Amino acid sequence: MLRLLRSTSVRLALMFAILFAVAALLLASLIWWRTGAYLDNETDAVISADIQAIGDRLRDFGLPGAMATIQERVAETADEHAIYLLVDPTLTPVAGNLSAWPAAVGAGQGWYQAALERDGHPYAARLLHVSLRGGFQLLVGRDVQSRMAIRTLILNALGWATLATLGLAILGGLLVRRAVLGRIALVNRTTAAIVQGDLSQRLPAGDGSDEFGRLARTINEMLAQIELLIDGVRNASNAVAHDLRTPLAELRARLEGIGRNASADAPVPEPVKAALQDAIGDVDRLVGISNALLRLAEIDSGARRAGFRAVTLGPLVVQVGELYAALAEEKGAALAVDAAAGVEVIGDPDMLAQAVGNLLDNAVKYAPGGRIALSLARRDDGRAVITVADNGPGIPESERDKAVVRFYRGDASRGSPGQGLGLAEVAAVAKLHGGALELGDNAPGLKATLVLGIA
Amino acid sequence: MKLLLVEDNKSVADFVAKGLREAGHTLDQADNGRDGLFLASSEQYDAIILDRMLPGGIDGLGIIEALRRTGNRTPILILSALGEVDERIRGLRAGGDDYLAKPFAFGELEARLDALMRRAQGSGETVTQLAVDDLRMDLLTRKVTRADKPVALQPREFKLLEFMMRHAGQVVTRTMLLENVWDYHFDPQTNVIDTHISKLRQKIDADAAQPLLHTVRGVGYRLGSDD
Repeated sequence: MLRLLRSTSVRLALMFAILFAVAALLLASLIWWRTGAYLDNETDAVISADIQAIGDRLRDFGLPGAMATIQERVAETADEHAIYLLVDPTLTPVAGNLSAWPAAVGAGQGWYQAALERDGHPYAARLLHVSLRGGFQLLVGRDVQSRMAIRTLILNALGWATLATLGLAILGGLLVRRAVLGRIALVNRTTAAIVQGDLSQRLPAGDGSDEFGRLARTINEMLAQIELLIDGVRNASNAVAHDLRTPLAELRARLEGIGRNASADAPVPEPVKAALQDAIGDVDRLVGISNALLRLAEIDSGARRAGFRAVTLGPLVVQVGELYAALAEEKGAALAVDAAAGVEVIGDPDMLAQAVGNLLDNAVKYAPGGRIALSLARRDDGRAVITVADNGPGIPESERDKAVVRFYRGDASRGSPGQGLGLAEVAAVAKLHGGALELGDNAPGLKATLVLGIA
Repeated sequence: MKLLLVEDNKSVADFVAKGLREAGHTLDQADNGRDGLFLASSEQYDAIILDRMLPGGIDGLGIIEALRRTGNRTPILILSALGEVDERIRGLRAGGDDYLAKPFAFGELEARLDALMRRAQGSGETVTQLAVDDLRMDLLTRKVTRADKPVALQPREFKLLEFMMRHAGQVVTRTMLLENVWDYHFDPQTNVIDTHISKLRQKIDADAAQPLLHTVRGVGYRLGSDD
């Protein structure tokens, strides 16, 4: 819920709905208040006029005059259900159409709202009680049952109208949200694909006249520029690696040939033999570098994604661990493997094995005689994580970002064998699998965490 | 041995051809798919080395399929640019016997060719006992003895030794071991295989008068009693 509220579009939709609802409620209240007041005022005016008229008659013609007027009015307003009652000081009715003084009306003068009964049916009445000379009491009123019904009707109508407005407001808010969110989600999806290595993706610019269209066009121009630059760099290193392979293979064959062509009569001197072996080793290193570069190019191109399938990581991690355990042992390092069962990802098993192998290779290289821990687990967010932690010198925090850059070699690694491509390859594999390589501090040592996408 | 090399890249073809002739093989060459298929189907070879991408209307996979359809069982080693997994699987599924990614060391090619041709000559019978000199392996009871003394091996070491014994006398490369014993198709950077071999060597050769597990410098290993 909180996460939902953090979304701009949800907040926008919510604000939209609240604003509409408040406006509708204000309007309804105003209508209700005005119509209610109008209905009340009208009744009160008629009753007041009646009282005035009867009072005038009483003053001019005495009690009989007032009684006659009351009888007249009762007859005139028979269908309006007007209420008249004149009582003497003992509350005995003298004139009017009520048989008794209503219990709801007290001794005090003024307005009353009372429930009366006519022919066995209850109804609401509005009454004005006035005390006359000689202890006579006058009660004039009107049946307001139908007006009450009108008020209820209006209240209901206003209530429904408000509800409908609220519903429309929420719908409108959702539509606004979808319109905005749809565009943003599209931008998000496209940029996510680009970040994963598919630089050919472009944002749809539409007709491009609104703000989103302009933004999309600017981003697309930027992407085109980046793609051009990256392609340039990539093609250069691919071409170099590719063109180097055949001459390197020939060179190796030639070096091997020298040793092979030697006979018992013309043996190759021992120092030359050693130099030949060293030279072959150097050629192998060069072949390794060009292979690693070509693998990186292949990973970057995303072509390997076509061969993705479900991979159970547990056995893979255990087996790569076993493969490197002998090497670690030889270098005096202790390798501990802890793999959780049942962790699966969609991926390329060979590339994942290569990535774990590179991490272990690094750990053995930099932490000889130390402790290395290889572990596989499923994180709370459902992602698979493979961690290789050693207690070697580690990588200073300032260098961690650069450590995954091709051919970058930190100060600590100078002088040790390696090509500066191992971590770059692990990072590329992680990226291809929708994850990342995170380098952290093992205090002391390096903690490399390979985070993979959700299975 | 009589071999056929079908490769359009001249420098690769020259270097492979030179190496194979020096190693004493008779070699025919073709630089396009059409000529390659003609030679392969008209002559009798011990093995064919075939590039995947070829000019001449028919590529490497096409040649393999055509040969296999006509019942030609000559062992075929496929050469191709960097071995993508699915590419390798496609090549093997089409009827190829092994797959080697360029660039390769000549020793690697030679070792794989050797293994291919020996496999083709094999009787095809299921063996239950393997023996090299006084080293014996029982595949059913999974017991290994050297000079009648039992040797205790880890499961992976057993698999490694089994592969070496099945290829006794041949040179096996580190990549062949990684692919066949560990089923990995990746580059382990450091020679992790070497440490496994040296552990195995300690177990089988440590107390023996004559070592059986030899290192072939720059190429790989060989198991055998001769030097």
